[in-house]
Amino acid sequence: MKLRALDRKLFRDLWAVRGQVIAISLVLAAGVATYVMAASTLDSLQRTQARLYREFRFPDVFAGMKRAPDGVLAQVAAIPGVANVEARVAAPANIELAGYGQPVSGLIVGLPHGEAQFNLLHLHAGRMPEPGREREALVSDGFAKAHKLRPRFPLQVTINGRRRMLEVVGVVSTPEFIYQLAPGSIVPDFKTYVVVWMDGRALEGAYDMTGAFNQVAASLQRGTRVEDVVAAMDAILRPYGGLGAQGRKDQVSHRYLSEEFKQLTMMATLFPAIFLSVAAFLLNVVVSRLMTTQRSQIATLKAFGYTTGAVAVHFLKFTAVIVLLGTVLGIGGGAWLGGGLSRLYMDVYRFPYLDYSLRPVVIGISLAVGLVAAGAGTLVAVLRAAGESPAVAMQPANPGRYRRSLFETAWLSQPTRMILRNIERRPVKSLLSVIGVAMSTAILVLGGFWGDAVDYMVFAQLRRAQLDDVTVTFIGPVSTRAMYSLLSLPGVTYAEPTRAVAARFRFEQRTYRTALQGMEPEGRLRRLLDTRLEPVTLPEEGVLLTDHLAKMLGIRPGEMLTVELLEGSRAVREVPVAGVVSEYIGVSAYMRRDTLNRFLREGDSATGAFLSVDSRALPELYARLKKIPAVAGSAERAQVLRSFYETLAAQMLTFAFFNTLLASTIAIGVVYNTVRISLSERGRELASLRVLGYTRSEVSYILLGELTVLVFVAIPVGLVMGRGLAGVMAGSAQTELFRIPMVVEPSTYALAALVVAVATVLSAFTVGRKINHLDLVEVLKARE
Amino acid sequence: MESVFSARDVTKFYDMGEVRVHALRGVSLELYAGEMMVLLGPSGSGKSTFLNILGGLDRASAGQVLYRNFDITLANDSELTQYRRKHVGFVFQFYNLIPSLTALENVAAVTEIATNPMKPEEALELVGLADRMHHFPSQLSGGQQQRVAIARAIAKRPSVLLCDEPTGALDSETGVVVLEAIDKVNRELGAATAVITHNADIAGMADRVVHMSNGQVSGVEVNAHRKAPRELHW
Repeated sequence: MKLRALDRKLFRDLWAVRGQVIAISLVLAAGVATYVMAASTLDSLQRTQARLYREFRFPDVFAGMKRAPDGVLAQVAAIPGVANVEARVAAPANIELAGYGQPVSGLIVGLPHGEAQFNLLHLHAGRMPEPGREREALVSDGFAKAHKLRPRFPLQVTINGRRRMLEVVGVVSTPEFIYQLAPGSIVPDFKTYVVVWMDGRALEGAYDMTGAFNQVAASLQRGTRVEDVVAAMDAILRPYGGLGAQGRKDQVSHRYLSEEFKQLTMMATLFPAIFLSVAAFLLNVVVSRLMTTQRSQIATLKAFGYTTGAVAVHFLKFTAVIVLLGTVLGIGGGAWLGGGLSRLYMDVYRFPYLDYSLRPVVIGISLAVGLVAAGAGTLVAVLRAAGESPAVAMQPANPGRYRRSLFETAWLSQPTRMILRNIERRPVKSLLSVIGVAMSTAILVLGGFWGDAVDYMVFAQLRRAQLDDVTVTFIGPVSTRAMYSLLSLPGVTYAEPTRAVAARFRFEQRTYRTALQGMEPEGRLRRLLDTRLEPVTLPEEGVLLTDHLAKMLGIRPGEMLTVELLEGSRAVREVPVAGVVSEYIGVSAYMRRDTLNRFLREGDSATGAFLSVDSRALPELYARLKKIPAVAGSAERAQVLRSFYETLAAQMLTFAFFNTLLASTIAIGVVYNTVRISLSERGRELASLRVLGYTRSEVSYILLGELTVLVFVAIPVGLVMGRGLAGVMAGSAQTELFRIPMVVEPSTYALAALVVAVATVLSAFTVGRKINHLDLVEVLKARE
Repeated sequence: MESVFSARDVTKFYDMGEVRVHALRGVSLELYAGEMMVLLGPSGSGKSTFLNILGGLDRASAGQVLYRNFDITLANDSELTQYRRKHVGFVFQFYNLIPSLTALENVAAVTEIATNPMKPEEALELVGLADRMHHFPSQLSGGQQQRVAIARAIAKRPSVLLCDEPTGALDSETGVVVLEAIDKVNRELGAATAVITHNADIAGMADRVVHMSNGQVSGVEVNAHRKAPRELHW
């Protein structure tokens, strides 16, 4: 097909301003990429989750109990609305992996006797155990990956104080344990926590559960209310030490996954919304200014007899090319980053596969935003230019109307006057430039804020509140005399008992299930802190709640909270809320340990201990702890810190890093365009000065001086805007897993300012080279 | 007479793809101190190219141009900048004033970087614009803008004043006023002046008229009597 002359002009014009075309496309691409990355990651994860639940039959209701005879299962199956049931035995265990010194804890799950109803296993490596082979076992894939284990390998497990040797023949994952969290921990740690599947009957024997079960799951018929089945199950299981049935929303893996998705949704909504609107705004401004420089061309085309409509269409094609380029780059880049980000999430969420999804609507929205923003900018400029009569528009533009600016003093040099008057003469243009640069500064702050917030969370939780080196968990309540035994272990200098019990908290119609922790009133190793990180004293009576828990329950200090213990005495009591404590990770309730002991109608007992340990003695300490049957597990604070940064923090920080990268792209694109367009607008003036004997650097001063003034104004504005955006983000990032503290470190501000400054210098350098090549002869002849 | 410029066999060609366009085909010419010279020729005759080479805006492809003893053809870019800055005054068809500066400031923009300039006010007075000093270009007529441009060109006390179609964008009435200003600064400051025009009537105000056509000097005539611009008509 033969190109029409106008279309050929289009491509040549685009080629002539290719630097700007690329810079503008990059700004849009960065905005679109943020959106595509976030949306596709979230969509992919949710889609994968849904598909996995369906294909691997994730049940609807779960219940745990101390011990129920097999016959009880029929009663559960008979509950109206229940479609299918399955019972099994699951037991906490201590695990010993040859060659790994640190303590590993785990959950051993009995494989069903017949065909599995729920939580089908996805085999990653090896094979399933042969029926009846009691030593053959499977492990969760996170553990195998963390330790780089391939079947077959031996594993020593201690169930109920008795050791057994198992042989791992396969590595699996299942919807039940997508999010693996050791009881009582806040961060998944694949090195020190493992789920093991073994022959059901063998486990029953080892755990004294022959002819009985301690976990049951059910799927529901369509239209059945989860609450009704939960209540019916609770009634049936209470005599057997029922721990409270729960729907999917309270199932540990599902709940944490939902909370993380909530967090991701927030990030995936706010970041792209901000980035895309910044990109759209800049696109609009930049395109409109670019079009204004085409004024005489527009007039010439009109003089030839092209209609305003045809001229507008021509220039719309011009911007459409830029938008398409930017959108395609953005979608490609976003999909690529999204794929990377999804895989990172997969490291924590043990999905067996990822169903990557980039919905057409995401592509449609990306394209629409670009087209509308650029289209509007184009039309405004083109229609303004087309409104002039061609004769007037083809004349050299009348000298702009200037006046003295407000800031002038007599000693200013003429070039400095030019800078000031230019800024002041077109206040809207100057303002838009300032806003553009400020916005890119702001999104840079937003990217860095995430890192500051995570660091502060860690600082508050793991350096101010938790001062122990090692936390030990017992298999059940033990007398606090055990502290003396702990103190006799190698390296232990101090031990502080703690009592944790599962509880249900109720206020008005709202309930929440979490641990109630009994703490020492004058505790040295675990401290409860207020928002200023000052220690809060535990009252003799009453509970302290994590501020977020109090908010979720809608309860204020002084009000009475219903506490229902889910084990031991199973007592239910009204307890006053004595205050709230500030915690950024997880939610909990705290009470004095002696008060909790009385509440539980038990003596001076503990379920765990916080230890101060001489770090040199740690390996020896672990070796000894593993041999103590009453110790269910232990966690080292340094290891928790490590796994936090490796898992949850890694996700958030990678997300934030990608965003910082895209924000930098936007910043560079904006600054470059601002100065590049200034050059096209003022090339004639600058060349005239060169003719009059001004040197290159003197001429550059005028153009770049203006840019510098604008950037200097924009940076502080941008820092303030960035802080505001971070506040919005922190405000909406409140989940049960995390509360993002509103902390922006000076280094983040400095980095944002630095990136913009560097972008300015680089742009100045590029444009400076163009100033060197101004055609002095041409400018004297050309009208505009 | 002392020669300010001395051009020897100046050639200029532009390579436009496969075609070589000759703008100047061996021009040799002198410009004497204090002289008023008019370069006359149709468009495309090479007169602007020649003037741009004299002014250090463009480079000759071959030949030599001496400004006093300084060989412009051998100068590098920053030497040319300094040369324009110190010695050359330019006046253009489209004035090329800085719109953001007042008349006075436009002149000051040049005096600030010159070595021995007159006061900007003085320069404006010389062109008859003392009462318009604080006006911005947008507040001045075309003729006034051009006179500001002349004031700007001469405020540095240049040795040469180069004017490229200074009246090209003006009506004849206004054109005369502008030419009077040029004539006046030539007489009073003694700057060697070269005026480009395609308007033969203007030639009357020159000491010497150089005819150019097809990139060559086609003739030189000396006016026995230099007319005042008032006496010119077109």
